[in-house]
This record gives sequence, structure tokens and C-alpha cells, in this order.
Amino acid sequence: LLPDPSERAEVETLKRLQSQKGVQGSLVVNTEGIPAQSSTDNPTTTQHASLRHNLSWKTGSTTHETDPQNGLSFLRICSKKNEIMIAPDKDYFLMLIQNPTE
Amino acid sequence: MSWRSLTNSKTAPIASRPQSSALEAQGRRSRWSATAREGGAVAMATRARPWQLCSAGSAGAVALATSGAASAEGPGRPGQLQDETLGVASVPSQWRGVQGIRGKTKGCQTASIATAEACAQTQKHADAEVQTEAPVPAGVLPASQHDSPRLAAFLRRVEAIVIRELNKNWQSHAFDGFEVNWTEQQQTVTCLHTLGYPPAQGQGLHVTGVSWNTTGSVVACAYGRLDDGDWSTLRSFVCAWNLDRRSLNPRQPSVVVEVPSAVMSLAFHPTQPSHIAGGLYSGEVLVWDLSRPEDPLLWRTGLTDDTHTDPVYQVVWLPERRHSHRFQVLSVATDGKVLLWQGVGAGQLQLTRGFALVMQQLPRNTKLRKPHRGETEVGATAVAFSSFDPSLFVLGTEGGFPLKCSLAAEEAALTRMPASVPLRAPAQFTFSPHGGPVYSVSCSPFHRNLFLSAGTDGHVHLYSMLQAQPLTSLQLSHKYLFAVRWSPVRPLVFAAASGEGDVQLFDLQKSSQKPTVLIKQTQDESPVYCLEFNCQQTQLLAAGDAKGTVKVWQLSTEFTEQGPRETEDLDQLAAEVAI
Repeated sequence: LLPDPSERAEVETLKRLQSQKGVQGSLVVNTEGIPAQSSTDNPTTTQHASLRHNLSWKTGSTTHETDPQNGLSFLRICSKKNEIMIAPDKDYFLMLIQNPTE
Repeated sequence: MSWRSLTNSKTAPIASRPQSSALEAQGRRSRWSATAREGGAVAMATRARPWQLCSAGSAGAVALATSGAASAEGPGRPGQLQDETLGVASVPSQWRGVQGIRGKTKGCQTASIATAEACAQTQKHADAEVQTEAPVPAGVLPASQHDSPRLAAFLRRVEAIVIRELNKNWQSHAFDGFEVNWTEQQQTVTCLHTLGYPPAQGQGLHVTGVSWNTTGSVVACAYGRLDDGDWSTLRSFVCAWNLDRRSLNPRQPSVVVEVPSAVMSLAFHPTQPSHIAGGLYSGEVLVWDLSRPEDPLLWRTGLTDDTHTDPVYQVVWLPERRHSHRFQVLSVATDGKVLLWQGVGAGQLQLTRGFALVMQQLPRNTKLRKPHRGETEVGATAVAFSSFDPSLFVLGTEGGFPLKCSLAAEEAALTRMPASVPLRAPAQFTFSPHGGPVYSVSCSPFHRNLFLSAGTDGHVHLYSMLQAQPLTSLQLSHKYLFAVRWSPVRPLVFAAASGEGDVQLFDLQKSSQKPTVLIKQTQDESPVYCLEFNCQQTQLLAAGDAKGTVKVWQLSTEFTEQGPRETEDLDQLAAEVAI
């Protein structure tokens, strides 16, 4: 059962992103917060999906409300142990966990 | 004014009628009230001036005459009585001055209270039970349900920006050294509680072991003696204090268990908050249930062939292989045996697996001093299990060399000690020795290969499982070191208890040469024998000393919060292999 070309493309893109320096995990969720693709195990995935999705939505709507001409382009959360990159879009959110050590 | 100023004249003492005439002379006002009030005065006035009344009128004179005649008969004395004229006494009216006062009568009555009776009665009831269910993990939608082309298009759109950000992040120095404080910072180490049991302290017992229970609210200590001598018949105690109770009395433990022999070590059950295991000087292992104060003993090994023949220096709880919610007790003693016990039946601890350390069977990768003739057993004094591999453990020995051992070892031990299960030789690797017996070992909860050992030479050695020589050796004390423990939250912090009476806290990030904090537990330098971190309330550290007191220390915030990148620093430390 060969994966069709579009599926292969997205898998490849994700693989490319995962192989960047320091990336520990990746996650794609749709607008309702349901994970579409994930590289981590199930409990972590669901936790990240629901929690971070809410945060990204809130940030996006805050940006839009304070200035209707404006919108969220990228969200980066810097925590003690690692960094989370969130790229928002109208259909999906992409989240990457990176560990930037020198 | 005397009544007896009777006169001979016909004008005799007055009756009530002349009073009214006097009033008429004064003017007609409300007569009836005047009579009441001024009766006396008027009477006296008119009595005193009888001559005035004579001119009042004929009717008045007739009345006078008749009443006078009647009253003249009264006294019945013939008369030497004289006329007198007395002064007038008058009492001025008060009410006439205040004319505005009018009396009025009013009444009130509450409206009648309406009452009604009614009854209520439940006619039917239903029983219902509630039970929380284990949360069902939400599954990930299978990929086939997704709109794959749209997903691919999305990823293509964001790929470029994400990669750019990732690279920027990798090179960014924006957050170097940036630290945020979420909780209030505690700057110093303070002693929260000083706990002791006076009867045990009176007997001169030492605190030989402390343990926190699984909820982190109860601390238990074992009393025994750690110096030389035959203490096998000394009665001792296991005491527990519940630190969360408001009625905490530091001199009165919540539970006291009397034990027939000195207790050398103590360990709370990992999931049952009231079960606690203790190893005795006599070689027995006992398990108590502290929630039953009248009969706390749950299980005991008894004195069988299987039991240790030497004091049990450490006990730990291990999950069973197949049922990880049930636990067994592992005990190590200086007779060279490491035994695994299971509670069965009516209070009996049965041996399920056993290991024996024999000198000849120790791995020869490290050169050890030649054993004395006849000495074949290797006494074990401490044990620590790895947090990453549940069958891997490290033993501290009387010979001063830590041993890497495995529960899965199969080789039979060459020992003649009797046992109901075959004893195996567990040692796989021998580490380079200390200058004296090892009293404590501790495996790092953050790194799979690192462990600490401390012994009577006053040194702490940091070993990696991969090599025999220690990575680093620190001299902490000129006397013995009795306990060493890694911090459960900070990968680079450990605490050690010394024979000089202090607890030393080392932060390898700050300084690897001297302790970051030195806590003086005892004033007269009597040794601190044991210490344990509280895994639930990570700022608490309990330490027990030779004076029989347990002190609960509250650590400053720097010891309870992980700094940025500590795990990486620990990895780096482990990677510095000293060749």
C-alpha cells in the first residue's frame, strides 16, 4: 500500500524539520486541537496538543484584537528546560520542541 | 395644724361641702380634681379661718351649722378650747401651669397572627453511587482521516519560517543567564522541627535511620546504636511524627513502636503511606503498619535459617517483577547476604531470592587487598538501586569497594550458608576502593551511570558505572561519613552527613571543592548518622544524629529549583572520564 505523493511530501517535510539541530519532538494539530501528526508518544502528544493549542489561539486572537490589521506570525516559548516553536495557520498549528544548548 | 383647734363658735370644723364653696370663691375650675389634690389644704385653710366662712352664704351657714353640730359632738369635751388663727399653707398647683398637657388614651394590638400547618414526607428515594473512572486516553486521529493535501500544503508554507527560527534560536544568546523566579525565594537554610523521643534519648540511643513516607508528610526514625558493642538485647523504638498535623508535639511522636532489638535501618513503603520496614541488629527484618497502633507488626522474618546472622544495615522496597504494584523487601547485612523477602500468609516474610557475596567470586577487574585467611564473606553495608534500570544495584561493602550487581545474576554462590532458595553471586563489576568501609551509596536519579559512595575515610567518591576509578573524590570530613544522598530535584546537588556533626550540601555547579552550605546539626560534634530528602516536599531534608534528635531542615530555594541546563552539565561531568 504505497503512500500517495502528498502524504509522502508531508512526511518528508516533517522529517526535515525533525532533523534540525536540537529538535526533540514535533506535533501538528488542527484548529480544534486534535493532533494530526506527532513524533512523541500518546500521553505527551495529547497533553501538548490541548495545552499549547489553547495558548496559540489565545495569542493569535489577542494580537488580532489589539490591532485588527495585525496577526500572529510565530510564537516562541522559552522555558527553563527547552524552547517550543509554534507556527500558526488557518488550518493547522505546527509545534516543535527544541533544546538549544551551546 | 391641729385638728383640735376646735372653736366654741358655731362655725365648727368643716366637712367637704364648705370646701367647694371656698373653691367657688376662687373661681370655677375643674372642681373634682381640686378636691382630690387640695382637699387637705383647703380644708385646713377653711378650718383656720372660720370667720370667712360665715360670710359665705346662708346655704353654707346651714351646712356649717349642721355639720358643725355633728362634729361638735364628736370630741365631747367642754370647752377651754380657744380660737386660733393659723397661717395658711397652700400648695401651688403644678398642673395648672402646664395647660398644654392633655392626656389621651391609645391602644394598639398586633394584627392577628395567621398560622397554618403543613407536613412533608419523602415518598420515594433512590440510591446512587459515584465512582471516578480512569481517564480514557484520547487517541490520535489516524492519518487517513486528514486532508493530506491540505496538511502537506500547510507544512510547505511554514517550513521555511520554522527552519529560519530554529537556526536563529540555535545561535541566539538572548536568554543566556536569564532566570525567572515564580515562587518566593528562601535565602537560607532553617531548622523547621527538632524532633525527639525522650525515653529513647534517655537510654542514650542514636537515630540510626530516617525515612519519609510516600505522601511526604510523615517522618519516621529508628533508634539503635551505631558504635561498637553487643546491642542485640537492647530494647529500642521506631517513632513517627506527622508533620502536617497541627497538634505536632516534637517530643511526642504520633506513633511509637517498641522493638525488642536495636533497629539499624528504616524504609517506608513506596505506595502505602503507613507501611514501614526495618532491619534489626539481630538480623531480622520486620514490617510494621503504623496505622494500627495497638498491633503494628505486619510481617517478620523470624529467626530461621534464612535470616541474616549479622545486623541488617539497609532495607529497601522493590517492585515485584511481574506485578509492579506489589513490593518486596530487600535487606543487606554484613554477613554477605542480600536477601529478597515477600510477605506471605500470617505475618511471615518468606525468602524469594537470595544473593551471597563471596570473596573468591568478586570480579577481578580491580586489584583488591588480599583477604585475611578464612575471610570469605564480604559484608555489605549499603545498597542503592538505579533509577533507570530496575535490576541494577550498587552495594557498598566493608572492604571499601562498591560493587555493581544485578538481580538477574544466575551464577550460584560458593557459600555454605544455608538457605531455602539457591543463593547467587550478584557482583558484576568491582570499583576502586575507599580507604575504609563504605557506609552509604546513592545512585543519581538524573543520570544512569553516576553514583556516589561515602565511607569512613571521610571521602565522597563520584563513580561512573563504566569505569573502576572514581571520576572525582572529595574530602568532606576528617572523621567518618555516614550517609550520602543525591537531591531528588537538582541533578548536581548532594548532601552528606558527617561524624563531625554537620550536614554538608554540595552543589557541583557552584564549587566542586567545598560545600555550598554547611549545616551544624549538633552542638557538641556528635555524629549525624542518617539523612533523607523528602521527595514530595522537595525543600525538606531530615537528618538524625547521635543525640537521638531528628531535625527537619528547610532548604533555600537554590536547592529546590532546577537551574537551566543542569542536566546537560551533569552529562558533561559524567563524560569527563579521568583516564
